[in-house]
Amino acid sequence: MPGEESLVQRAKQGDREAFAQLYEEYFDRIYRYIAFKTGDRVEAEDMTQQVFLNALDAISSFKWKGISFSAWLYRIAHNLVVDYLRKKPKRAATLVSESPAGSDGNPQLMAEHSLDIERLLSACQRLTEPQRQVISLRFAGELPIAEVARIMGKSQGAVKALQHSAIVALRKALLGTDEEVQRI
Amino acid sequence: MLCVRHYWELMRKSREFDNILDECLESLLTEGATVEQCLQRFPKHADELKPLLETALATRKASTIKPSPDFRDRARYQFHSALQEMGRRKSGVFFRWGWQPRWATVAATVFALFLAGGSTVAAASGSMPDDPLYPIKLATERVQLAFTFSAVGEAELHAKLADKRVAEIIHMAKENKPEQIERTAQRLVTDLTKIALLSSPREVTSSIAMAPAAEEAPVAEEAPLLTQRAGGGKEAHDKVDRRARLKEIIMHQADNNTARLHALLETAPESAKPALQRAIALSETGYKKALESFREKP
Repeated sequence: MPGEESLVQRAKQGDREAFAQLYEEYFDRIYRYIAFKTGDRVEAEDMTQQVFLNALDAISSFKWKGISFSAWLYRIAHNLVVDYLRKKPKRAATLVSESPAGSDGNPQLMAEHSLDIERLLSACQRLTEPQRQVISLRFAGELPIAEVARIMGKSQGAVKALQHSAIVALRKALLGTDEEVQRI
Repeated sequence: MLCVRHYWELMRKSREFDNILDECLESLLTEGATVEQCLQRFPKHADELKPLLETALATRKASTIKPSPDFRDRARYQFHSALQEMGRRKSGVFFRWGWQPRWATVAATVFALFLAGGSTVAAASGSMPDDPLYPIKLATERVQLAFTFSAVGEAELHAKLADKRVAEIIHMAKENKPEQIERTAQRLVTDLTKIALLSSPREVTSSIAMAPAAEEAPVAEEAPLLTQRAGGGKEAHDKVDRRARLKEIIMHQADNNTARLHALLETAPESAKPALQRAIALSETGYKKALESFREKP
């Protein structure tokens, strides 16, 4: 985000407008990341709000020590998600994208899009936690590999290898899902 | 020695492929390149890359997940309130709650509903989307869903909620409120999509293993067939029976609600008709998808 450093600096000094701009910039992406990781819309809503409240609370102590503001925000989100996954009841959750983009208001496409996303989320639930993390950050968070590596505290090489294994596992899970869907 | 050399050679090739895959993903995700373009750049690895890049393209749909407009408005209001609060209370004590798990959120909602009072909650149950009490109605539904412990039970509840959404769309069309029709139609899609997912054989079968035995789905007047619950201890058979009954209900609802919405097109105000037509199309597609999920016998 251009000018992010100066916005963060202003937000650190208590500039509400600067923080509001950062909020608008990252709100959808943080929601998407959490929704993708948890597969649960209700939890994603609660946690997204909490991420920004936590960030607001801690912004004064934020320091640019080799970590960008976005990486810092995703770390807050990641910690909340990890906490949630540790405590959540063993029950399948579903998430519905209420405003699917790219369907241009076509009801058929909107419904199919919603189901596609549900299948994707369902397949993701079958990945290992590090695999799900890399897929969430890369595809839902739309972050470059260097940023993903910083957030996960791994080397870029390790993240690339993880990304490879995650896509292979996801493909298997999606094919499994699709086969079942075709049999229905 | 040969084994070690072979191992390092494999590692080198693996690293090389990881780099190529990442380069292709970067092109797909940020530069809008096609799979074919990526394969042409790395013809030696095309066979291995192709399925992975196709999966990546399917996964890119994740970037279209968006928060609902309702939630976005609510969250923005709460955040701006917090910003104001920050100005007044630099200590930040106000924000030092940890995130609470879903049950804490549900408990907080139940508590809020309790504070709102039984009469308010009762009044809210009949409220419409333009009514100040409508958020209480939605909150009550959320609590009902949280206390429903099986896929079939949850699907039954979503079927009842879908019926309510259609009634709300009809009311909003009569009131000539196209924006509320659109929002309610989105909620209807949510309910119907959840029915489709929860009614799939996988969900029903897994929930038989996972759900508590004493699960009792909340009952509402819109779907009387659901009240005919099978008794006895054969839970798996009960679930299958319930699934069959749910299918009948959905079929009945699909016909009935589609007819009601089409009939309304004759009398609705002109300015509400485009939104109503979109709602009808969404409803028809949603019910169709929901019914498709019942095709396979578990």
